[in-house]
Amino acid sequence: MTQQVFAWLDERLDLSGLRAFVAEKTVPKHRHSVWYYMGGITLFLVGVQVATGILLLLYYRPSAGEAFESVQFIVSQVQFGWLIRNVHAWSANLLILMAFVHLFSTFFLRAYRKPRELTWVTGVLLLFIMLGFGFSGYLLPWNELAFFATKVGTGSAGAVPLVGDFMVRFLRGGDDVTGATLTRFYGIHVAILPALTTVLLGAHLLFIQRQGMSVPPSVEKREKAGETISQEPFFPNYVLHDVMWWYVSLAVLAALALFLPWELGTKADAFASVPAGIRPEWYFLAMFQTLKLIPPHVFGLEGEMLGVLGFSAAAGLLLVMPFLDRHAADGRPSKVITAAGILAVIYLVVFTIYGYLAA
Amino acid sequence: MATWLRNLIGPARAGRYLLAGAALLLAAPAAAQSAQASGCETCHKEHPLPALSAPARDFSATDVHRERGFTCVDCHGGDPNETDKVRAKAPATGFKGKPSGQSVIAVCTRCHSDATLMRKYAPKQRVDQGAEYATSVHGQQLAKGDTKVATCTSCHGAHGVRLVSDAKSPVYPVNVAATCTQCHADPERMKGYKLPDGSPLPTDQRAKYENSVHYAAMTQRDDLSAPTCNDCHGNHGAAPPGVGAVTNVCGTCHGVFATKFALSTHSQIFDKGCVECHSNHEIAKPTDALLGTDKSSLCVTCHSDGDNGFTAAAGMRAGIEKLKAAIDRSHALVATAENAGMAMDGQTLALREASNHLTLARTEMHAFEPKAVATVLQAGLGITAKVDAEGQAAMAEVSFRKTGLAVSLGAILLVVIALALKIRSLKPRE
Repeated sequence: MTQQVFAWLDERLDLSGLRAFVAEKTVPKHRHSVWYYMGGITLFLVGVQVATGILLLLYYRPSAGEAFESVQFIVSQVQFGWLIRNVHAWSANLLILMAFVHLFSTFFLRAYRKPRELTWVTGVLLLFIMLGFGFSGYLLPWNELAFFATKVGTGSAGAVPLVGDFMVRFLRGGDDVTGATLTRFYGIHVAILPALTTVLLGAHLLFIQRQGMSVPPSVEKREKAGETISQEPFFPNYVLHDVMWWYVSLAVLAALALFLPWELGTKADAFASVPAGIRPEWYFLAMFQTLKLIPPHVFGLEGEMLGVLGFSAAAGLLLVMPFLDRHAADGRPSKVITAAGILAVIYLVVFTIYGYLAA
Repeated sequence: MATWLRNLIGPARAGRYLLAGAALLLAAPAAAQSAQASGCETCHKEHPLPALSAPARDFSATDVHRERGFTCVDCHGGDPNETDKVRAKAPATGFKGKPSGQSVIAVCTRCHSDATLMRKYAPKQRVDQGAEYATSVHGQQLAKGDTKVATCTSCHGAHGVRLVSDAKSPVYPVNVAATCTQCHADPERMKGYKLPDGSPLPTDQRAKYENSVHYAAMTQRDDLSAPTCNDCHGNHGAAPPGVGAVTNVCGTCHGVFATKFALSTHSQIFDKGCVECHSNHEIAKPTDALLGTDKSSLCVTCHSDGDNGFTAAAGMRAGIEKLKAAIDRSHALVATAENAGMAMDGQTLALREASNHLTLARTEMHAFEPKAVATVLQAGLGITAKVDAEGQAAMAEVSFRKTGLAVSLGAILLVVIALALKIRSLKPRE
């Protein structure tokens, strides 16, 4: 049956080229190969987000008066609504975690070096978009914690010089976080960011397929020295490996969804006093904690502005990393960049934990 | 014009306020002159006898009358411009000296019963204090010549009088009990006074009141609407609530209870109304233990095994206990389901409604009509039964989810093992 369908399509679309590509494509196999699967897991979680997100759209209502109640309805009345909502919430968090793991693995293995600069750039942009998904999605249940965290988060944009006030108003759809902000975030979450993701993810995957997997400099050196690096067929070997990891991820997601259901909290009330322990999602916690620690004024400049500019500069550096570490392609990666990467990981881990304990 | 003031309230209003301020500054010396012109204070403040100097000092420190322009002569008469004390207190000056007894009432009500005058100073204040006082036990005793009883100044003070809303006033709600019991807790002063039944007037009211739920509400929860002496006895028309009036007094706040009680057989029998069960000054927080046929219950004071009241009390208490137990059970079930990750907000809300029915039953009980109580309790039990059913369904759902997860994980594990075996069987390409 499958063969008949394929033959029918082949007759019309000439799929021989694609068949040959799949049949011939190989993936290097070495002691660092396990990191290749991190991208695959991240991609799988994106798929989970799209599927569960579409299902949530069937019942979710994006208005200040109905958002909270509609999520409450989803988790308590809709058949398997609890599962879909909890998987969506957990998958979002695991997705960002895996995106970071994928980022740092490709960073330390110097996968961004020539000729894969664009793969890196699209990947970093995708990470920023995933953070945008997290930020906009956090507000959608319209609960108290998310409401006030969004107030703080969008308020930070005001520290950007010159355009800060405009950015705050643009993000909030007004001077304060209101129903207009919710509608705006909803539009960003379900239309703008998915559209950008489709384009960037398509380009990212196309580049990977076109250029193949990068091997770490140490493996490349051995290869140049004449050693043969073993390869495994992309199909079915690598694909089966990927699928196996996807199944493991699915099992973890299902267990988390059942045993640690994502709390809905209480409905947002703009007139309520700010609740204690207000904090953003864990992936913004390091930044949040840093901004809290920066003094109000540093060298005559506003502390918060300095922090926001610092993070923007770090994001910019991350984006253009392949062009900074120019000798990585010659097998001479910058030790300074390696040290900076290690420090960045330590900073993110320590400040995230610190942020949790401080809150 | 001060910039800060203009910024704060706007230029037009700031101008008006500045003009008003200037007028006040100009007027202030005149007022001060008028107060200083009182020769009474000049001598009395420095008088070697404290009994004569203290009034002048208190009056000049803080006094609501002085703040409104009244001086010593408005109550005491005399000539404040005369420096010689004999001429200042000459009969022609209308000097009254220290008013006492009925004179106090006359001096105070001269203004406080004058609606036209009072409208100038405190338009919302009542002007019937004098008339009310005449109806009070204090007023009646005074009319009989008993000068030990309280007059206006006994409670409000004579010099240094403060508004009732001033927290330092002796008649501010939290201070009332202390003010009344200056006399009423003094056995010596109360000697000879009797209750309508002929028994001596007790002096332990304050000690008992301080053990009451009302005192706790006022002092621990800062609830100034909680009753103190005057809320039940009246203030200017102070009198003990007579037989038959107690329910109305309590019903001022506890309206529903009073209405239910009025429908009951007990309202015909209980001489002291609410006080029969709840006491008067030492009103403790009521508990369900007051109802029923236990040794600690109040019903057994009059009812005994076999009579209708005994059966009714036992039935109502059993019904209340049954609903309490049902609510506790449902709460535990809802908590278990919530801990298992189920959304139980609707059930939590329903249990609040069940608790409301418990409160309603306790209220209804004051009519001492078991059928009416049973109807309310039954409605509450209906709610808990529904919550229980939903709680059980939630727990069944939890069980279903866990089974589903176990089956899914088993299936996933099998697929992962199968994939791993398949991958192992595939040969890498060199």
